[in-house]
Amino acid sequence: MNGLIRWIDDRTGLMTSIEECRARPTTGGAGWLNVWPCTIMFTFVVQAVSGFFLWMLYSPSAQTAWESVYFIQHEVLGGWLLRALHHYSAQVLLVLVALYLIQMILTGAYRAPREFVFWVTVLIGLVVLGLMLTGDLLAWDQNSYWATQVRTKFLLLLPVVGDYLYKLAIGGPAFGHLTLTRFVALHIGLFTAAMGGLLVLHVWLARKASESKLNKSRARLQAPYWPNQALRSAVASALVMVVIVCLALSHGTSGESRGIELGAPANPADAYAAARPEWAFLGLYQFSNIFPGELKILPIFVFPSLLLAIVLFMPILGRLVVGHAFNILFMLVVLGGIVALSFMSVEHDRQNENYRQALKDGDAQARRAIQLAQAPAGIPVSGALTLLRNDAKTEGPKLFTQHCASCHDCCQTDEQGNKQGIVAEKSSAPNLFGFASREWVPGTLDPKKYVSPDYFGNTKFRKGDMVEYVKEMFEDMEEEDEAERMSMVIALSAEAGLTAQKAVDNRDKQRIAEGKDLMVDDFGCTDCHKFHAKGQLGDAPDLTGYGSREWLVGIIANPAHKRFYGEDNDRMPAYAESADQPADNVLTESQVGILADWLRGDWYEAK
Amino acid sequence: MAPSLNEEPVGDDRRGFLGNATAVLLGALGLAVPAVAGIVTALNPLRQKSQAGQSIRLATLDVLPEDGTPRKFPVVADRTDAWNRFPNEPVGAVFLRRTGAKQVEAIHVVCPHAGCFVDYVAKEDEFLCPCHMAHFDLTGKRKDENSPSPRDLDTLEVEIRGDSEVWVKFQNFRTGTPDKVVEA
Repeated sequence: MNGLIRWIDDRTGLMTSIEECRARPTTGGAGWLNVWPCTIMFTFVVQAVSGFFLWMLYSPSAQTAWESVYFIQHEVLGGWLLRALHHYSAQVLLVLVALYLIQMILTGAYRAPREFVFWVTVLIGLVVLGLMLTGDLLAWDQNSYWATQVRTKFLLLLPVVGDYLYKLAIGGPAFGHLTLTRFVALHIGLFTAAMGGLLVLHVWLARKASESKLNKSRARLQAPYWPNQALRSAVASALVMVVIVCLALSHGTSGESRGIELGAPANPADAYAAARPEWAFLGLYQFSNIFPGELKILPIFVFPSLLLAIVLFMPILGRLVVGHAFNILFMLVVLGGIVALSFMSVEHDRQNENYRQALKDGDAQARRAIQLAQAPAGIPVSGALTLLRNDAKTEGPKLFTQHCASCHDCCQTDEQGNKQGIVAEKSSAPNLFGFASREWVPGTLDPKKYVSPDYFGNTKFRKGDMVEYVKEMFEDMEEEDEAERMSMVIALSAEAGLTAQKAVDNRDKQRIAEGKDLMVDDFGCTDCHKFHAKGQLGDAPDLTGYGSREWLVGIIANPAHKRFYGEDNDRMPAYAESADQPADNVLTESQVGILADWLRGDWYEAK
Repeated sequence: MAPSLNEEPVGDDRRGFLGNATAVLLGALGLAVPAVAGIVTALNPLRQKSQAGQSIRLATLDVLPEDGTPRKFPVVADRTDAWNRFPNEPVGAVFLRRTGAKQVEAIHVVCPHAGCFVDYVAKEDEFLCPCHMAHFDLTGKRKDENSPSPRDLDTLEVEIRGDSEVWVKFQNFRTGTPDKVVEA
């Protein structure tokens, strides 16, 4: 055994180096305050290890970035923990570097002969910020996408080179695949390598500096690195790991929000109003908000550069006693400013209703995206964003608000009399909440309700054949008639084939058949309306398949078609009239389908 | 017999310098080949031009409220992303506002400050950028005395084709500058 060790040492010098490291004297003896470099290196190794395994699972492209992170977060065993460890160790790393720098300045350790140690540590801090900024985008969710948009667009503030830098940073004129491939290369390649190199350089320079210090103060007794300092550093590193694990587990170990959350997939056509930078940049964010637009270059580029220049100049300035005092004061002022500004920013957002609402909407969208991704259909090749774009639950209310809610309500009235749901700008058409359901249909056969604003009260149909008919038949009803009317309601509602009514429709087959017969025979609906084989088109809307997807798609596409209102159509625009010229239509086929699905309450829900 | 390894190189300082310079130059030239090849590809984005600038049909007049309330319309166009082409994708949005029987004003939703999307706030009858709280009136003029935005909201060229079709020349403008400059 000894022979083997001797052989390895002879060929590589490994054992001698280790021995030399252990025996190397520490300046000022072993101490808890000397643990920073070791914990910084340790945390970087945690980053590198967790990062490597994330890399094995990550796919950088606009259609696969969010999707692969979703896969890590929600499908891979322990993936959420790996991601959380990587995220939180990055935050811890930044804090450690900051603490190390603060300690250096406070104790004067940034001065001769350790100037280069200080400068390299500042560089390490910058590289950590670079790692955070590039790593943040890789999840390609709404927050990281829009926060990075804002950040990279700041480059455009720079005169002359701004344009070029912007395009080079994001890999073209707009965000896309190449932005991700670039950021990955910077994050995993350049910055990680730079970090490794700088840490090695730091060790080298620190040794060099301590040698020169030792030479000057030979008198002082120096303790060797091993075992006292090594043990302290190991304990500190273990403590750092405990902190990282605690942070990673701080959102629980189960449920969607465990670890570090993943927002909704990046949507280039829908800016995320609650996009905020990471905590480390909140101070700068708030600071930049003080400045009017024309002067934005000051807080974004000029002042940070000046700050960096002063920090880099500190070791030179620190040679004077006054300079050292200035450095400490300057540092305290800057730190205090950053903390105060960050706090202001958080407080400001907390009181900002728009921000809170945007945050809530974003959360809801993220949950929905994950739900859809977990659905049996899974994520299509076109990416998770198409899941949301084709989702009736997500897009339905937006389309309705945009295209229908100038006239139609789609809301319930609660016990306090408040309208819950989408309220029209000026209600002038039926309230479509629960359209064609057993709760909605009765109103069409109720003389009072028929002329109320929730039905046809604000349309030209408040006068006409149907009102006369409903009055005549149902104004003074016997109890027996009530049962018959309900049978017709159930029969007509069954035409819609609503998912929510599947069970009751199946149960009431008998009654539905009776209702159909009543509609055709006793109540003469087919005198005006077409209903299956009876009646004809032209006088009133077709009741065949009333409220079904196909029927709704038809009436939204063109209500003035003879199958619906024909010439009697009252103001309702045709949204997809032209089948052969889709470009002429207000809505696409799929949008009309989404509206129909949404009105019918027909969308995927997790079981 | 091979010369001894211990033999001192013959020559003066100048030769030593020439030797060093040649070694450095050769090394640099060797490294320059992959470096230049790589840097050239990394500069490729500079050749890419923004795709915007085409006229797009956004709406018909009858869907715009006559009282001048703005409405947001998504802009759908073909989009190229590196090796992929996406037909008919939402690429942005525009607020349209009736200003007369046959007159429409189009305002880009992107805030000229930092590129967030402004919202229409009905209660205040104004546009609000939620990122840095810039307020704009309905014509897009800045309302704040010290607006975060360096310029008013960007208007877009509108054309009414036929009787009622609203066409807009959709372009993106550079953010953060006092002047309205088309994104290249």
